[in-house]
Amino acid sequence: MVVMAEAAGHFEIGVDIGGTFTDVVCRDGSGAMRLVKIPTTRRNPSAGVKAAMDYMQREWRVSPDEIVRFVHGTTVATNAVIEAKGAKIGLLTTVGFKDVLEIGRQMRHKVYDLVLKPEAPAFLAPGALRKEVRERVTATGDVLVGLDESSVVHAVDELVAEGVEAIAVSYLFSFLNPAHERRTREIIAERHPQIMVSLSSDVDPAFREYERTCVTAFDAYIKPVVGRYLENMEQDLAGDGVKTPLQIMQSRGGISSSAIARQRPVRLFLSGPAAGVIGGLEVGRAAGIEDLITVDIGGTSCDIALISRGQPLIRAEGDISGYSVRVPMVDVNAIGAGGGSIAWIDGAGSLRVGPHSAGSEPGPACYGRGGEQATVTDASIILGYINPDYFAAGSLKLSPDLARWTIETTIARPLGLSLEHAALGIHRVLNAQMAEAIRLVSIGRGIDPRGYTLLPLGGGGPLHATALARELGIRRIAVPPHPGVLSATGLLFAPIEHESSAAFPRLLAGLEWPEVEGSLADRDQACAKLMQSEGVPAAKTQIFYFADVCYVGQSYHLEIPLQTDAADPLEMLYRDFLAAHDRIYGHSTEGAARIVNLRSIHRSRVGRPAATAPVRPGGDSAHKGQRDILTAESGRFIAAKVYDRSTMAFGLEIRGPAIVEQPDTTTLIEPGWRATVVADGTLIITAD
Amino acid sequence: MTESLDPITVEVVRYKLDGIANEMQSTLLRSSFSPIVKEGLDASASLFTADGTTLSQSCSIPIHLATLIPAVAKVLETYPLDGMREGDIYILNDPYTGGTHLPDIAVIMPVFHRGKAIALSGAMTHHQDVGGMSAGSVPTNATEIYQEGLRIPPLKLREAGVFNDTLIKMIRQNVRIPDTVMGDLNAQVAACTVAARRLAELADGYGHNQLASIFDELLQRSETMTRKALLAIPEGTYRFVDYLDNDGVELDKPIRIEVAVTVTGGDIEFDFEGTSPQVKGPLNCVPSGSLAAACYAVRALTDPTIPTNGGCFRPIKLRLPKGTIVNPQEPAAVNARTSTIKRITGCMIGALAQILPDRVPAASAGELLVIAFGGSHPGGGRYVVGELIAGGSGASAGLDGVDVIETDATNCMNLPAEAMEMEAPIRVHRVALRTNSGGAGTFRGGLGVVREYEILDGEVSLSHRGERHFFSAPGLDGGSEGAKAHSVIRRAGGGEEVIPSKAATTLHKGDRLVIETAGGGGYGDPRGRSAEQVREDVRNGKVGEDAARSVYGKA
Repeated sequence: MVVMAEAAGHFEIGVDIGGTFTDVVCRDGSGAMRLVKIPTTRRNPSAGVKAAMDYMQREWRVSPDEIVRFVHGTTVATNAVIEAKGAKIGLLTTVGFKDVLEIGRQMRHKVYDLVLKPEAPAFLAPGALRKEVRERVTATGDVLVGLDESSVVHAVDELVAEGVEAIAVSYLFSFLNPAHERRTREIIAERHPQIMVSLSSDVDPAFREYERTCVTAFDAYIKPVVGRYLENMEQDLAGDGVKTPLQIMQSRGGISSSAIARQRPVRLFLSGPAAGVIGGLEVGRAAGIEDLITVDIGGTSCDIALISRGQPLIRAEGDISGYSVRVPMVDVNAIGAGGGSIAWIDGAGSLRVGPHSAGSEPGPACYGRGGEQATVTDASIILGYINPDYFAAGSLKLSPDLARWTIETTIARPLGLSLEHAALGIHRVLNAQMAEAIRLVSIGRGIDPRGYTLLPLGGGGPLHATALARELGIRRIAVPPHPGVLSATGLLFAPIEHESSAAFPRLLAGLEWPEVEGSLADRDQACAKLMQSEGVPAAKTQIFYFADVCYVGQSYHLEIPLQTDAADPLEMLYRDFLAAHDRIYGHSTEGAARIVNLRSIHRSRVGRPAATAPVRPGGDSAHKGQRDILTAESGRFIAAKVYDRSTMAFGLEIRGPAIVEQPDTTTLIEPGWRATVVADGTLIITAD
Repeated sequence: MTESLDPITVEVVRYKLDGIANEMQSTLLRSSFSPIVKEGLDASASLFTADGTTLSQSCSIPIHLATLIPAVAKVLETYPLDGMREGDIYILNDPYTGGTHLPDIAVIMPVFHRGKAIALSGAMTHHQDVGGMSAGSVPTNATEIYQEGLRIPPLKLREAGVFNDTLIKMIRQNVRIPDTVMGDLNAQVAACTVAARRLAELADGYGHNQLASIFDELLQRSETMTRKALLAIPEGTYRFVDYLDNDGVELDKPIRIEVAVTVTGGDIEFDFEGTSPQVKGPLNCVPSGSLAAACYAVRALTDPTIPTNGGCFRPIKLRLPKGTIVNPQEPAAVNARTSTIKRITGCMIGALAQILPDRVPAASAGELLVIAFGGSHPGGGRYVVGELIAGGSGASAGLDGVDVIETDATNCMNLPAEAMEMEAPIRVHRVALRTNSGGAGTFRGGLGVVREYEILDGEVSLSHRGERHFFSAPGLDGGSEGAKAHSVIRRAGGGEEVIPSKAATTLHKGDRLVIETAGGGGYGDPRGRSAEQVREDVRNGKVGEDAARSVYGKA
């Protein structure tokens, strides 16, 4: 493709570094997108950005000084936890409570395991690195025992002598009165300016001491690591001549400048997946679809997320490497099912698929890298879904012989099935599993999947989409132009976003609006400062308010939008809470409710390019041949037309059975479905 | 396998059956109102074949495993299948006719396809109140079931689509919070209805005859796999004895739980000969409790990939001597049977430790201390706050036990100190690991917890239901026992009162309650623990310096 003249001086770059691949997208001023996948260097992921810069300069003639935005999605925060490579940290708590971090909530995740493993992340700060400070604030926020500064000095000096790089501070009721935590930070800064500090009243000012302490300790644990990683990247980019500040995707789906993001690294755990959901949201927006289920099927897992009324669902806490961490993030649910899932036969002779995966090393048998177990991808070749010569744009030649041999010997013969029916069986079993998982995620959030559009992502999503949609009673599927790199494209569409929340424990009944307004004004001030430091003018900022609300006696809350311009905002909040409760939990009563936290979100939408991708020539040039395929519905091999996605014109209509090939994925359109290309290049598949 | 059955279809149907049970459970949790269901996850849902065998089950806590089996059997016995009509729904809660304890109400619905009953769906929910002598219907001092609440024998809640108003009025009249109870009952009906709709869709797709063959096949497969796994356990009879402190009424009488587990020819039998006679207090446990424990034990000890259904339970045999605490006779009180089920589970698993030393850890504290404070706010209005507090888990060959963690049949959260202080005029002074409480060993048992409360205002009723105050969690293979639990009241005016495991008493302003839960048993000779590990434990406050020297022999 030719770079248009007006494109010069206006490149927007998104780089999503995943475990296996680094996805790079580049959008020029005309709206044209280019993308490439570069293998990730596991040992040094930031080398991926360097490699991306080299590639773009060499292949796309992108000059660094013409880059106007550079957005990055990263797994550095998650990896630091998974690989236990965070910093050595200390923890300061109120006297009597230093063990809260290790005691946790006493609940276990694996109920049927006899040999248990700790549920609370005591490894962040084992007993010797947890110190108590004399101070006490009451449940009303009043000081019962003033901060004993000498006990702070003593504790901090001991921790520093132990060699900690960062200190987390979490005192009881600091979310109501942060004075003692703030004074503690001053003391640390005075004595040991090199030590990084995370205060619980900054990181997560909400009640429940374990959850608050835990997230604060995680923040301190990853802060030095994430800080170094991002600072190095900022310097590398500047060294390359990139003038725009590096931006980072956060777990809620908004971006922030790197310099700010590394102050609160605990917000980066879901950086990559959040970008994928934002990418899905943008595809939906362009096609006029507001309710979507995104299903990202990769090699080892399938990530399910919901977008309702144009907004991604957010959860109040997430699971990081098996630990529950209370930090809001897009509600992405992973199950162990993907293209690399291994098919096996259990002790009673049943065909099972997953949860174990062949991953990318050795990978499916057809990769020819020594994999000896049958996988879903091997089955896809036998069924005619995947072109073995055009996998990942031909970068990896697949061996149909190995696929056949493996499925024949490990599955078909033991089960007494034909090769083809064994392969079909693998797909049917996997699809049944994924469909049940999608259904459960949806109904668990009060959503009937039948009214939603399925948005398949990843290398494997579009292959399973029609089968999943049929199982779920979904009648419409939207396949984005580049499903395999949607996280990277999502980076370019995400708004700049800053959030500030504070505990606000008040009963709704009798609450006066000015009190709420006062607290929101404080939140706004904090957000505005951050937006300002990003260079976003106030005029371009949209402000959203939320309250976390629950019934009195409930221990979990719902995030409800606060309509400040309503005639009676608090009455409206109560009504909206009842409606949300009914939608999500299936019932509501007019019982007493209370606010737990107040939140302000400042958001600035980035300008969308005026032009979209150029409309391509029409005609039937996209039709490039045909292949016999076997589906669960057809029962026998039938001829499917094969299309080339890159040359499919706007408005082109095709009917299943058909296959659409493109470098990052293959779309299977089963009989009974028809597809059409809409203006932005999205393929909309609907049931006949 | 039946000739005509496609093995792929069988597997696909299995996922759908599991999916349906999960959807029932999700519906149940979503649409229930009471916090005990929503947040304690104290509910379960199952599908059954037309003859009452479990097809699939979803439950969040093991105490609910298989608990609907006796209920479905009782319903089928009382109302034979061929007399059931579309739109019928059955209900019961009486422990002596298919139930567990009175707060657990079972709702069971036949599933029809083209006029034929092809299956049953059932949902069990722990209700917030079912009447009786105390709010919440779990009176610690009950001595007969009539005090525990309303008893519902197997009855029709709905007949051919018409609700039984007489019964509903009776229920509403006998419970303290009728709207909540009816709300939760409706959630159960909704869950059963979801299952009926989806099962009927399955029958549309596969035909009910083929579906019935698939059900048989699935049960057969799980049975085969379970028996295979049991055959891998060396044959023999293995015994274990443990004790509950007392029944809360007769405080000086320990309760003995004795089990002989016989593994032979792919069967597993649990014989409770030698177990204490039924008790006056409410710790008696009807047979469904031992069945849940046995199902948990089999599931935990066999291959975790075996799909759970009634086939897994076929190799299980229970011998529960009549008139003992594991098979009490009417009208014994049963509401507090959770402690008993926890101890039964521990004994079943513990018996197999001697032959499965790599897979079975030393005994865990296996206690879930229940405390509740009730009083008045200074500004008026009453409060009741309660906590459920765990001890340490047992060490295993290769790993230390986990500190303060839920084990065996239950899985409850503790209460944050901040939540308690915001809820009631009580101050929490300490939430700490209990040094030296983990049983010593090459691998150390998990620690218990210390929590200290101070009453800030007025007069407060305290209910305290503990375990492991008199009998510690034994160690394994030379490991030491964990520390016993200990609770004490320190009166404002001076004086200490040690709580004998169970107590109902009054506290006043300035009084403090200090509870210490038990530790898990250790594994292997303590002297075999490395100096480095002992040093770490001392540094981290898990073992005191004295114990490091005297017990572990390390300076």
